Amino acid sequence: MFSAVLRAGFRSLSRTRANHTAPLAVRCYSHAEVETDEEFDSRWVTYFSKPDLDAWELRKGMNTLIGYDLVPEPKIIDSALRACRRLNDLASAIRILEAVRDKSGPHKEIYPYVIQELSPTLQELGISTPEELGIDKV
Amino acid sequence: MTMSLTKPAMRGLLAKRLRFHLPIAFGLSLIAAIAFKYAVTEPRNKAYADFYKQYDATKEFNAMKEAGIFESVRPSGE
Repeated sequence: MFSAVLRAGFRSLSRTRANHTAPLAVRCYSHAEVETDEEFDSRWVTYFSKPDLDAWELRKGMNTLIGYDLVPEPKIIDSALRACRRLNDLASAIRILEAVRDKSGPHKEIYPYVIQELSPTLQELGISTPEELGIDKV
Repeated sequence: MTMSLTKPAMRGLLAKRLRFHLPIAFGLSLIAAIAFKYAVTEPRNKAYADFYKQYDATKEFNAMKEAGIFESVRPSGE
């Protein structure tokens, strides 16, 4: 887990452009395997897809994911929201959406995009966005 | 609204920001340190050097002695 965090961190530092799908040339780190963005994403989708994921693992997964220098892909968030559904945890589902918005920081175009991509899932699972609930403003 | 939104950059946003801002931060700090050195410490050190260039320790001692501030040696009058 720690090495994955390191790899993600180093990869982010060396990256000059986001959404770079090819693995980087070996530069500032060892000859360890570089995980591609797709591998990273599918690893996390798989993590949240575990049928018997428990509440602790959901929280742990989300907190770890939030620690990375990236905004999680909609497919990862989708997997996490479905895990919330299995755990009957609407509060965490809405909190995850708030976290996505927070992770975007000053880049205001990211959150609307993620919501756009997730809207079928949000409809299907009956999850309201913080904006719909009026809890997005202080 | 508009057509469906295009996918924005979502990875490495902090790294990008740091790559831009850290060199500036280090550069400005360095400039601040250099500026302080030449605007503050150099004039101070020069003032000390100038003061002591023509300093006559014996003359100053005698002036202090006559002023009567010492216990071990009294002014020439007493």
